[in-house]
Amino acid sequence: MNFNLHGLDIYLWTPTTPDLPKEFRTMKLTLISNRGTRIYPPPAPEIDLLDYPRCRFESDTVVSNEDIDALVLHITELGWTWVKCQKLFRNDEGENLYSQPY
Amino acid sequence: MAHKVALIRGDGTGPELVAAVEKIFNTANLNIDWIDVEAGLACVEAGKPIVPDETIAKIKEVGIGLKGPMTTPIGKGSVSPNVTLRKKLDLYACVRPAKSLPGVETPFKGLDLVIFRENTEDLYAQIEYMVTPTVAQSLKIISEFGSERICRAAFEYARKNGRKQVVCVHKANIMKVADGLFLRTFKKVAAEYPEIEAWDNIVDNQCMQLVTRWNSYDVLVTENLYGDIVSDLVAGMMGGLGVAPGANYGTKCAVFEAVHGSAPKYAGLNKVNPTALLLSATMMLEHLGELDAKKNIEGALEATLSEGTKTYDLGGSATTSGFADAVCAHLKG
Repeated sequence: MNFNLHGLDIYLWTPTTPDLPKEFRTMKLTLISNRGTRIYPPPAPEIDLLDYPRCRFESDTVVSNEDIDALVLHITELGWTWVKCQKLFRNDEGENLYSQPY
Repeated sequence: MAHKVALIRGDGTGPELVAAVEKIFNTANLNIDWIDVEAGLACVEAGKPIVPDETIAKIKEVGIGLKGPMTTPIGKGSVSPNVTLRKKLDLYACVRPAKSLPGVETPFKGLDLVIFRENTEDLYAQIEYMVTPTVAQSLKIISEFGSERICRAAFEYARKNGRKQVVCVHKANIMKVADGLFLRTFKKVAAEYPEIEAWDNIVDNQCMQLVTRWNSYDVLVTENLYGDIVSDLVAGMMGGLGVAPGANYGTKCAVFEAVHGSAPKYAGLNKVNPTALLLSATMMLEHLGELDAKKNIEGALEATLSEGTKTYDLGGSATTSGFADAVCAHLKG
């Protein structure tokens, strides 16, 4: 379909930069950003943070909807409160159909 | 003791403009320790980030930066060096004064207003997705924290500079949640400054009023995207991007820059107007407490324009360096 599921952006409600699992199934925690600015992996710029970090999990291979559901459930079970989720898609050429943070 | 200033010479015409400002500052006997830091296309060509971490660290250490115009490379994955600086240094307040200059003819006589643009949020968070194969979504982030600090900066500026009025520019009639939060926060902050008149305008109406009743406005405070558009509107009212200065303030540092781009097609031609960068640099002098020097240089600039020495964008034939020489000739002391 040229619109392939490769990961998830999950937005949490927390005042701190969350310590999340670095991997889940084939997905890796590739970045955390706050207001569009990358704060993980380090070094994080010294900026004021909102209680709304975006945590990005990406897989080099296509993942299933069930993988995404399981990841969200896992994060919830770890005690984090998520407030928004966005699936991440790539085209057949492997290009991200989503933006990168600064 | 010399003031330390981190200096980004910029791309395209940037180095020529910076050289003009340096010459005027030297002639005015300003004691500035310019610390060259790298950023821009040369960094990209060398395989580095467009604004290297070392540059961010140096500006943070020094606390002040002056930046020539830079080019945002076109192409996939390229980022704006300007937005990178603002975000990584958390320069949340973009301040754009717009004031009529002698000798620069416009229909907008007596223009004198200042725009405070929130610099780190809004659609400039640049969070975008294709959510289905045919639908794109861009997230607009507005926070109470971000809104409060830009509104407070605008009111503090008004109080400190004897300005009588701050107007909030928004679109809360349509974006009732996001812009509603911005407007609500503005009203909360305004209540702490009872001596300053405060009201709000919808952005489209504000644009119309700026070109019909510009003398009714003093300080405007707005979100990132509206601020981007409105500040270029008033730059045009002032006489064009060649004369429009700008500054970006954070809690720990400030970066001063011309509003315009790097004009690469004019690079090396000694042609572009240095006024915008010079006025940005005099904003820097105010920040450094060098008020006499600011007055001296701005007076020399106004005398230069009044006598008809102008660059091509203002209908003249002066070169960049020739214009700088003319300003130097009008400096006192």
